[in-house]
Amino acid sequence: MAVRIVAEACINCGWCRRVCPTETIRYFTTGRRLHRVEPAGCIDCDRCVAVCPEHCIVPDPEYVHDPAELEAAKAKARAWAARQRARREALRRRAAQVLALASRRPLSEEVPHA
Amino acid sequence: MTSRLAEQLRSMPSRRNPPYRPVQLLSDAEREELARKLGDASNYDLTLLRTLVAAAPENVELKKALVSGIVSAEFAGIDAFSRKVCEWQDWPVPWELILAMARQTWDEVRHAQLGVGLLESYGGHVGEYPDTLAGAPPSEASQAAARVAARGGEAAEEPMRDPLISLSVTNVALEGAALELFRGMSELGRRIGDRLMEHCYDYNWADEVTHTTIGDYWVKQLCEGKPEEEARALRAHAMFEAVRARLSGEQSEEIRRFFEEEMERGTTALSGPPTSEAG
Repeated sequence: MAVRIVAEACINCGWCRRVCPTETIRYFTTGRRLHRVEPAGCIDCDRCVAVCPEHCIVPDPEYVHDPAELEAAKAKARAWAARQRARREALRRRAAQVLALASRRPLSEEVPHA
Repeated sequence: MTSRLAEQLRSMPSRRNPPYRPVQLLSDAEREELARKLGDASNYDLTLLRTLVAAAPENVELKKALVSGIVSAEFAGIDAFSRKVCEWQDWPVPWELILAMARQTWDEVRHAQLGVGLLESYGGHVGEYPDTLAGAPPSEASQAAARVAARGGEAAEEPMRDPLISLSVTNVALEGAALELFRGMSELGRRIGDRLMEHCYDYNWADEVTHTTIGDYWVKQLCEGKPEEEARALRAHAMFEAVRARLSGEQSEEIRRFFEEEMERGTTALSGPPTSEAG
């Protein structure tokens, strides 16, 4: 199974495209201002469904994956997830460094929350 | 033909009370002041600040910095959209589009009010932190997108004034991307038990969905039956995302392919068909 985008309801915000771990949602290379799912790369993770503000991404039950293409898509998603984890970790490390420094010298004066 | 009001606006800098203080133009003393507040001036970065606030929600200074950066963009929104209301009257666009920009200006005012209220709840005020967008020239991404997408005439000289490019870059690309920021801020508020932050940005998020919808609707209207115009809008959007992706270090395969194809189309067009004089 894969998902598809109901073009009439899509506002082209691109959020689905940006969260897709396999980059299988196309926009710039469709030749039109239309977001479209390439079903071969869809691993049915539903990340796009969860973020779509128009709720216009729906299941495409008719699409049946070839096992090899599905495995390739999953491998791509795993690589993407690893990159995301690394980025988050780097950000957390930097935040921890900033806070560690701040504990020695407070980040400005504390103001009580009104 | 440019109206006198639009002409006058072009030479009028953006103003606010307190005055804009773009982060790109801080003096050494102001940079030091920022460093004193946040440990380092480079920590005045919305992505990092969100992580810092999540890690240390009791630190009000970090919250003030984070919300200040976003409020600044709301003031930029008021400025930008109110200018469009005046300037676009010189373009052959439907009056309903001008009205949509007036409505959006009002929305940006409300966002700024919400942000100022939130900031004040932390004991902060506008002007305490530098401006991230307001009062500064359009972002590198917006300018580059507009330059690439422009084709001839007035649009080439001042591409961001072209309604099609402006809608594609600001309403669809930029406000579409802002959906993630506002959802993230609302979730951050929920996670740290800051209900005011949670609700403020949930409200903003809903408005951004409307703004993206308005932009997409009008880009479709302006491009109807004009594939060249649609390609121009798409190119502007692609350029905006390419520059943003370059800054964040996350370039998508599709964007890379899009520009490779653009290059091929350009090369083909330049080589042109053989002419009769050639032989």
